[in-house]
Amino acid sequence: MSPVSESVERALDTLSEVRKGKLDLGWMNANPAGWGVRATARDERGLGLEDINRVGTYGEVPDEGSRFGSMAPRGSEISDDMPSLGCYDINDKSLVWADNVAHLYDEAVARQWSSARDIPWNQLKPLPEDLEKAMCQVCTNLAEVEFVAADMPAKWLWHINHDFHEVKCFLASQIFDEARHLEVFRKRALANGGGLLRSSPDSEQLLRVILEAPNFTTGSALMHILGEGFVLTLFRNGEMFALSPVEKKIFRLCMQDEARHVAYGTMHLKYFLEKHPEREEEIHEILSRGEEATFSLNQTQDTVEARAILAGGGLEHIEEGFQKLGYLFKKQINEYLYRLKMAGIERRSRLAIPFELPL
Amino acid sequence: MIPFPSVEFFEALRERVNADPERLRRLGTVDMTLVVKIDYPDRVERYEIVFAGYHCVRTRQIANPADAPKDAIVLEGPYAAWREMINNIVANGQADLEHTLNTLTLMDTPLHVESDNQLDTDLFYRYQQNLQEFFDGAAIGAPSSASAGAHLN
Repeated sequence: MSPVSESVERALDTLSEVRKGKLDLGWMNANPAGWGVRATARDERGLGLEDINRVGTYGEVPDEGSRFGSMAPRGSEISDDMPSLGCYDINDKSLVWADNVAHLYDEAVARQWSSARDIPWNQLKPLPEDLEKAMCQVCTNLAEVEFVAADMPAKWLWHINHDFHEVKCFLASQIFDEARHLEVFRKRALANGGGLLRSSPDSEQLLRVILEAPNFTTGSALMHILGEGFVLTLFRNGEMFALSPVEKKIFRLCMQDEARHVAYGTMHLKYFLEKHPEREEEIHEILSRGEEATFSLNQTQDTVEARAILAGGGLEHIEEGFQKLGYLFKKQINEYLYRLKMAGIERRSRLAIPFELPL
Repeated sequence: MIPFPSVEFFEALRERVNADPERLRRLGTVDMTLVVKIDYPDRVERYEIVFAGYHCVRTRQIANPADAPKDAIVLEGPYAAWREMINNIVANGQADLEHTLNTLTLMDTPLHVESDNQLDTDLFYRYQQNLQEFFDGAAIGAPSSASAGAHLN
């Protein structure tokens, strides 16, 4: 064996002592207050995060996360010499929490799907060129924007104190959801004789606003409520104007995931504003920027033409398609405003974009 | 033949969806109460459908909106629209592209979704595949032509 470092040598010595029978077993007496719990599944869905939060004090989420800045599990015994990893600086529960987050995580785990297995790809059929190109353009846009909803949580995830593991787990599930969305839209574009079409400079502007948000909550308001709320309607739109059972299923399954993300964002903003009502203006300001960027993205020529062709049923019916998109835009705005109202923000009078499209 | 709408009709859908536990496990958990509201020119009928975890746990007819929980989601439309949707499912083995729940509700006509708040409405989107497969259960065991009308066999 080549020479080993001092720390490896120390570990080998310890192991040698243990093997000689010099046991410590002090860990067996650790955390007596946390011993003796017996978490049980509430029903056939299995043992969820919600269930283990009902035993002992393990479900008590502190307003201020552990001072240690470590990865030590909430509820464990932590020795005073526990080193801080130096990266966990979101320690205030109100900056990340949502009262539905454990439920949403359990649900996310139970509702995972596979873009390889669960989409009936063999039911794709050749389409008229205008419709195939419109679908491929929409899929190109979605493959471009969807992953921001993974990159943004990833950016903040490693800052979040481990005492808020429910939030970390939920955001991790969202990252995987978005990976699936990226791949499923890419697959659809490449699976029926078409291909990826044009990416959008306007999309990049919105993505930048989300990624550069100054803190998690403003980023979440932009992404979970505004961005994903709008995309949720786009997915509903995609399901309605689907050209085959393949797109029907893709958009329906993506819609389910997106609604889960929106539910977290709405309830997080509600929790945040209940604790920090004085910071409402900060949310309004970022939403104004986001609304403008989202509007530009949604109405960019490549995007709106492709969506109108799908909504109308072909290039020759694009006018009919524009009428439908006009109605859906109003619905999109109203649902967005109602979600904000649930979170405690009245924004109807401050909306930075029109309520209706001039179509 | 089980007539639509009726308690027996929704009970049959409940039994059919629950009969495939592996499928329900793949689709994932659902926690919501859906009220199907069928509008006639002179009256309405309401049926409450309760989902919890991996099962549809209960269906029943209710007389008043207040009989359902406050967070129930109401799926409402005229009898003719409901009848067309069920006939389509029976004829095709499942809803065709024009008759899925999302398609029938997105423009708020012929069906529309009502709830106490937007997050409850969002549950209708969050559980869309389960809800679609619940109603697609109308086709199970039905003949493959539309002549069955709004009935289950």
